[in-house]
Amino acid sequence: MVLKIFFPQCCNIADSGLLIGHWIPGHNSAVVLAVVHYPFIPGQVKKYLNQMQSQSQVHLTVLGSWSMPKEGKEGMDSFLKDLSTIFPQKCWLQLSREIGKTGFTCQVVQNDGKLLQDRKEKNDDDSSEEDKIIFVHYDQRKVMLSQLHPVQEVSQKSEIEPSELRLVFQTVAQSQPLFFLDKYDDGPLKLTHWQSEGREASIIAELLKQASVPVCIFLTWLLSLWHWFCSFRILHSWPVLFISSKLSTCVQSGYRGVHFKTVFSPQKAATHMDFMRKANIFVSFLVDIALGLLLVSWLYRENRISKLADTLVPVADRVAKELQELLEWLMGAPAGLKMNRALDQVLGRFFLYHIHLWISYIHLMSPFIERILWYVGLSACLGLTFALSILSDIVALLTFHIYCFYVYGARLYCLKIYGLSSLWRLFRGKKWNVLRQRVDSCSYDLDQLFIGTLLFMILLFLLPTTALYYLVFTLLRLVVVLFQGVIHLSVDFINSFPLFAIGLRICRPYRLAEGVKFKVLCQEPGTPLHLMMEINPLKFSSVLQCYRTPTYSGYPKDSWAALSKKLFVGELIYPWKQKTTKTD
Amino acid sequence: MMGADSGPGAPAVPWRKVLYERQPFPDNYVDCRFLEELRRNIRVRQYRYWAVVRETGLIAQQVSCVAVFLTLWSYMEQGDLEPSLVLWVCLGCALLGYGLYEILGGACVRERTRLADLQSATIFLAFTFGFSPVLKTLTESVSTDTVYAMSAVMLLAHLVSFPYAQPSPPGSLSLNAALFGSVCLASRLPGALHTFTMLSCALLVFALWPCLLHRMRDKAEWSFPWAAVLVCLAGVGGLGSLWPEGALLLSLALLTLTLLCPLLLVLLQRHKDNIHGPWDEAEIREDLSRFLN
Repeated sequence: MVLKIFFPQCCNIADSGLLIGHWIPGHNSAVVLAVVHYPFIPGQVKKYLNQMQSQSQVHLTVLGSWSMPKEGKEGMDSFLKDLSTIFPQKCWLQLSREIGKTGFTCQVVQNDGKLLQDRKEKNDDDSSEEDKIIFVHYDQRKVMLSQLHPVQEVSQKSEIEPSELRLVFQTVAQSQPLFFLDKYDDGPLKLTHWQSEGREASIIAELLKQASVPVCIFLTWLLSLWHWFCSFRILHSWPVLFISSKLSTCVQSGYRGVHFKTVFSPQKAATHMDFMRKANIFVSFLVDIALGLLLVSWLYRENRISKLADTLVPVADRVAKELQELLEWLMGAPAGLKMNRALDQVLGRFFLYHIHLWISYIHLMSPFIERILWYVGLSACLGLTFALSILSDIVALLTFHIYCFYVYGARLYCLKIYGLSSLWRLFRGKKWNVLRQRVDSCSYDLDQLFIGTLLFMILLFLLPTTALYYLVFTLLRLVVVLFQGVIHLSVDFINSFPLFAIGLRICRPYRLAEGVKFKVLCQEPGTPLHLMMEINPLKFSSVLQCYRTPTYSGYPKDSWAALSKKLFVGELIYPWKQKTTKTD
Repeated sequence: MMGADSGPGAPAVPWRKVLYERQPFPDNYVDCRFLEELRRNIRVRQYRYWAVVRETGLIAQQVSCVAVFLTLWSYMEQGDLEPSLVLWVCLGCALLGYGLYEILGGACVRERTRLADLQSATIFLAFTFGFSPVLKTLTESVSTDTVYAMSAVMLLAHLVSFPYAQPSPPGSLSLNAALFGSVCLASRLPGALHTFTMLSCALLVFALWPCLLHRMRDKAEWSFPWAAVLVCLAGVGGLGSLWPEGALLLSLALLTLTLLCPLLLVLLQRHKDNIHGPWDEAEIREDLSRFLN
């Protein structure tokens, strides 16, 4: 069996003393956590260990002894060997360093008194595989702070047996209380382990931690006030609910509310994932606000708002004019197509009247647009996402005529397609049997056949005209939807991007570990193999995948094929509530 | 295969044509009695020439109906026929035909009430009259050649898919194709009233006339050949007044249909060779009437 000893780097030059650590259950390996220096009273060591054990839930034991030779301190070896009788263990490690050598030797004493030495020291030739000892050096601070991925929380009992490496990481992370005892502390024991910078360095952080609880409670109260306001019955009536579900600003504010609820919950984040989620949301929120304030500071300088308002009305006018020209082109013989002239004129006039209505509406609004924009621009203080959402809503409102055209065109086209498909069955003397979901033959009456054929012909010859109008307005609508989609995607990006995790990955790569790699430190004859354990940082793609905040599913989930089929049949695409269950 | 294994090694047990016994023969074995059960032409009806000619009258008169309809359309397109006059004539014909239909079917049980007939007629007239301006402008932007081609194809489809064995009620596809073609043609006429007239004619010729003819064939068999000949003459005559060469072609076609084709059929009857035997599908021949009581 290979005995693995995980040894902290900071203890390399520690004074002689006792090794404190933990035997990994089920694996033949030990994690050294600290060195207790002379002089000590064995009873106090035991008491201290018990105390630590109850705090950290790690089974701490005395693993063995550590001897660092210094001038004038000879003859300690025999004393160290005797210590094993004071702290009875199954295995007793005796680590010793020699001056002038980088590696150190190790002797293992079984509790039956048999000396189980590293064989390499004695005879290199028949070094068997069984009794090798490998030293794995690790950086105690990094291992303590790092989180091994994929994340497996300690509390949840999973079926999979955690690997040895995970156990080592857990042990080091859990024995954090052990590291609080400072070397400046005056106590009965002197320990060597990783030393924190000291709590004094982070007074501000500590103050913030203390202050965060009442702030969180206050904000939660505010949130509950907001929720109480939202739960008014009038806000749950049908039209308000419908409109608010279509306005991206409302959707975004609801989403923000959920975020706040997560961040400002006064409970401490129990698990790593909870903590990361909170931190991600919080950092995203801060960045969002900062970007929004930047936008505001840009927007309200040099009278930009009024310039914007002055350009907005002409742009809307221009769009309407272009639409008018398009309609006039369609009312002629567009692209040499032969359309039904009467229907063409009717449809064209209908749409022209709509545009006329729209233009008068815009002109009615134009004196107020600057003021509206001024107030709306203030919403950017709430964050860039709000500004973008409001922009999306404004675009949706300003292109409402295009949406109307699209709906009319699609409805008309849909009606024609369905009518044609059912009349084509009548034309062939068939019918759709709804009970058996198939086409059956059927004998129709004379009058049914006659009227059906007339309608079929009318629909057939009018189809190209309707289809052309539908096509043009669908293309226009798709352009608007594309623009809104880009805005929604960027809002979604800001909302869900794990900024904190990415920052952590960049500045403290060891905090998010994906695994470890080993480097050979020294391999001298006569000493065991020394390895250096380094932490592999998590890949950026994995960081994104793991810590991405889940977002609302307001996007159509159609595939491209389904979308094109919908477009072909003339069903309304986004935004429209789809009937999910079709009752035939 | 037959008798292939009747060599010296053949077993002494006689072969029986049963499946429920295990026999020392391969599964596909048959003995030399196999062809004894062969029967030829057991269900062939021997047609007589004049009977076949009589039946082909139906096809000839249907072709002539199309010719009559096209003649009418042509006259109306040239403006030689007043649509109101045609409408009156149509109304008269319809009433006459309805009376005849009622007289012929007097004894049998009526499927529809007179009210239902009146309702149907009202629907026809109302819809056709209402839609005729729409139908008039429907194919305005489609070129005339396309319209003619479409109506030709549709009338041909009407002739091909017409249910000659059972002409009443008219088959869906044939009637719809004929109506499609007539709407195409009607949309080329100068006015909305013309269109209405044309559609009424189409209804009369393609929907109602086959019903009347069917009843005539059922109830008064002697009148059927006369009616068919009359329609044929009308078709040829009508076409002849417009286009004499066409009339000649049509009459040739009709003669071929009524005289030459039956002759061919009767002559080729001799070569008919249907074989029946034990390989046919099983047929239940037993008289089941005693179980039904």
